Amino acid sequence: MIARALLFVWIACAITAGFLWAPLVPVLGETTRVFYFHFPAALVTCLALGWSMVHSVLYLRSRDLVHDDHAAAAAELGLLFCVAATVSGSMWAKAMWGAYWNWDPRETSIFFLMLIYGAYLALRASIEDPVRRARLAAIYSSIAFVAVPFLVFVVPRIYFSLHPDPLINARGKPDMDWRIMVSAGAMLVGFTALFFWMLTLRVRVGRLARRLEDEAA
Amino acid sequence: MSGNLVVLGVALLVWGLLFLYLIRLERRIQDLEKS
Repeated sequence: MIARALLFVWIACAITAGFLWAPLVPVLGETTRVFYFHFPAALVTCLALGWSMVHSVLYLRSRDLVHDDHAAAAAELGLLFCVAATVSGSMWAKAMWGAYWNWDPRETSIFFLMLIYGAYLALRASIEDPVRRARLAAIYSSIAFVAVPFLVFVVPRIYFSLHPDPLINARGKPDMDWRIMVSAGAMLVGFTALFFWMLTLRVRVGRLARRLEDEAA
Repeated sequence: MSGNLVVLGVALLVWGLLFLYLIRLERRIQDLEKS
């Protein structure tokens, strides 16, 4: 319970720091605040999808359904954080670029990511046998993740983008006030902890559902 | 500045509600695991 309370205070402080302590970027104005939600949501999406891939591989090696629970839960949460990043990004795009959607390389990439992982969840929903579902989903997830680093880190660096330079850029240092970086970093830590908490809850729900299925059978 | 504080308040409220929801969900899961 102490860890939960700490997480609550941590994220509340990080949000407050982003609003009251970190300065505004002159070009972005008040919309700078969107960064503190958009950036961590996008990175946690990558973390979640990576977690799903790792547990898919572990399932294929061990055939332990606990790994399948982790892979499914992480993919669901990855999609949830992906939607959060897309919605916050669209609102930001409307304010800065004049339209909610511009088919910018990053927007196109995240659209494809949502399609790929939407198909993963559809695949899972279409198979009733848990062992067959786990095996096919693990194979799909292991292959699907190959697209994530390509779509998130490579494509936006190849084509012209409306997005500003990424944090990891050719000059080797981010063009950002240190207070903005600290606030965004604190939000990233908070979002990561929130992801693992939600993941644990989802895995436990999956385990309960399997227990009920076993009892009914 | 006041608009900024309103948005901050809404953001904190949303986070508080999500937190409470997750705490309640965790308790419910604990009860189901015990039963």
